Amino acid sequence: MKASAKDMFGTAKLSLIGLMAFLGIWYLVDLSQLVSTKFLPMPHEVLLKLIELFHIPFAGNLLQDHMMASLQRYFWGFGLAVLIGVPLGLLMGWFRWLDDVVTPLFDSVRFIAPVAWVPFAALWFGTGAGGPTLIIFAGAFPPCLINAYRGAKGIEVRYLEAANMLGVGSFKTITEVLLPAAIPSIIAGLRIGAGLGWLSLVGAELIAASSGMGYLIVKGQAAVATEIVMAGMLSIGFVGVLIDVAIRKMESFLLRHRQN
Amino acid sequence: MPRSDTQIVGLSRRTWLGVLTIVVVLLVWWLLTSVTGWISAVRFPPPKDVGEAFKQIALQGYGNGKLHQHIFHSFKLVMMGFGVAVAVGVPLGLLMGYSRKAEALINPAFLLLRPIPPLAWIPLAIVWLGLGDAAKVLVIFVAAFVPSVINSYTGVRNIDKPIMEAAQMLGIRGFKFVTDVLVPGAFPMIFTGLRLSLQASWTTLVAAELVGALYGLGSILNQGAQDIYPAMILIAMVFVAICGALSTALLGYAETKAMPWRSERVTA
Amino acid sequence: MSTIEFKQVTRVFKRDGEDFLTIDGFDLTVSDQEFVAIVGPSGCGKTTCMRMVAGLEFPSTGLVSVSNKPVISPGPDRAVVFQQFALFPWKSVFDNIDFGLRAKGLPQEKRYEIITHYIGLMNLQGYESAYPHELSGGMQQRVAIARAYALDPDVLLMDEPFGALDAQTRVVMQEELVKLARRNPRTVLFITHAVEEAVYLADRVVVMTSRPGKIKEILDVKSIREAEGWDSHSKIEDVMDLASFVHLRTRIWKSLREEHGSDDH
Repeated sequence: MKASAKDMFGTAKLSLIGLMAFLGIWYLVDLSQLVSTKFLPMPHEVLLKLIELFHIPFAGNLLQDHMMASLQRYFWGFGLAVLIGVPLGLLMGWFRWLDDVVTPLFDSVRFIAPVAWVPFAALWFGTGAGGPTLIIFAGAFPPCLINAYRGAKGIEVRYLEAANMLGVGSFKTITEVLLPAAIPSIIAGLRIGAGLGWLSLVGAELIAASSGMGYLIVKGQAAVATEIVMAGMLSIGFVGVLIDVAIRKMESFLLRHRQN
Repeated sequence: MPRSDTQIVGLSRRTWLGVLTIVVVLLVWWLLTSVTGWISAVRFPPPKDVGEAFKQIALQGYGNGKLHQHIFHSFKLVMMGFGVAVAVGVPLGLLMGYSRKAEALINPAFLLLRPIPPLAWIPLAIVWLGLGDAAKVLVIFVAAFVPSVINSYTGVRNIDKPIMEAAQMLGIRGFKFVTDVLVPGAFPMIFTGLRLSLQASWTTLVAAELVGALYGLGSILNQGAQDIYPAMILIAMVFVAICGALSTALLGYAETKAMPWRSERVTA
Repeated sequence: MSTIEFKQVTRVFKRDGEDFLTIDGFDLTVSDQEFVAIVGPSGCGKTTCMRMVAGLEFPSTGLVSVSNKPVISPGPDRAVVFQQFALFPWKSVFDNIDFGLRAKGLPQEKRYEIITHYIGLMNLQGYESAYPHELSGGMQQRVAIARAYALDPDVLLMDEPFGALDAQTRVVMQEELVKLARRNPRTVLFITHAVEEAVYLADRVVVMTSRPGKIKEILDVKSIREAEGWDSHSKIEDVMDLASFVHLRTRIWKSLREEHGSDDH
């Protein structure tokens, strides 16, 4: 349905009303003393605290430094998940024996909630960087693997027949036919994996970290500094959105030659 | 080599390879830990220790209760949070899907809160409700709420326009419209939302219990870490996996029963 | 010298534990550079015959061979033009044609020369960097034909190549293919259900029975075509107007009709 300009203006108006209603209710609850501002700081207090955290450190670091620490661990864990998961999934789709060997192993560990790996990671890696990386990997790996696998398995038979007919060897078929055909599915997996990885990171940092966004909000909770907790939550959400947007941009780029 | 689906002694080659792989892994595990001691028991527990830990928690109890008590407690919390989330989220999603006005009104608040990972709500929940069960239920609610809304919304949006028009032409309105057109039409996606919500509920609960709890698999993980009892940690991880897999399987089964016309089986 | 031999070929298809005989006792020899079309009712197994020469399927009993070498796998010596084009959507027109040539290990200049030649021949100039979704159905099939010819195959296999095109495009493509085939003669096995198409393009037309498919009759078109001078007319509609054409077409139509009558739908 194409929305006319009038419809869109109407929608925008309603959204604005919705937003103001949300903020309004928030303020009302505070101002009416229903809940102490210690537990529910007013929206502007959260915003001010957020800005303040950029110059005044809390829990050992400035906000941006906590964020950098989180992002660093994130890219390691997510990067590994993609670098291992995608090729492995593709190859499992191609080589039946690989599928038969890996699937039982994978199925036994994939239902373990990523955060459940934290104590084990602490035992295995101590306080090193391996710990959080493992958790992020545990979160991001399954979707990357599964979607690459499904993408490979779901390839239309005629493409494989055409490649076969043309006399294209295995390596070229995997890299120039299987992989491009699987890209839409792979990207979907990346998006899900990116989200789950970010989520797992925060979880890991809540429990076993000395820096990072998860650490920041858990310290905020310990100090009953609710504005900090909320400011942290919003920042975490915001960066999560940025990551998703980045992946969608990459998707458009990779699929630019294809009709949707 | 014979193809995967050829039968050897009644089981397919695929199954044999799978079993073989697991057996090899178990063997390697036993060799590396018990027999050679290459991996110290502090790093990774040998099979014997794991067996002991299992007996202990199942029969005597560990960390405030026996295994089934822990699981039951966790299950109760998940059901509470999940139940409320679905009861609120699915209708909300259906409403937002059907009415563009409702969508426009509610979207801003939703968009603001949606990107915040459920686990990030744990500290806030603790500030508000303390370290007890209530905070956990709140976090589970948040985790289960978002997928319920989104998938119900998408479910409605995916209903073919001709079907909606046919219903309007037949004069079906109001409550009947919701129960006989909207909900069945959105059913597949609603179920996907339920599945994702349940998985998110379990994952979030384990995390919340890890942060601080008296009962639950997460609390066992925590206790095991504090006591430096790797075998118990492993047991807890195994049962987390079992619970997660079971809930997925159960919902998948419920899905095929509720929608017998669908041929796809849920496996993830 | 490239020939195709079907010797006592049968094909049994298993489904739900039951056996269905789809092709029964198929015997045919296609001579070097001969253009043979197979027509028949739906489900008679004509596409399966082609796929067996391509090496995409295999006979249950009997032998399918090319130049007396049994067919064991697909390959560029038996190029296929698929009904649904099967171009790779993520490759440009140029790369689609190039792919098979690269697999042959040809050097870059040679590949470039071949591709340019066939792009010219198939009227695709200017579209080298275009992607399949930007092209019409007719253009995509031109690319598929160019791709097949560029392989310099011993045998050309076409599976209802114009089936997915609209009627007008189809006619244009038939005209082009005829010109190409006369200029660049090769051993061709052409599958179609459109009788006019078969009569227009082929040297011989094989009529198959309904399932289980056997050869009902084989008609020699070439001698009539040469005797009546069809190739002197450049437009397809002029050829299709000729009495000899109409007579042959109707003859085959009637033969097929009998098969449709015995079809249990």
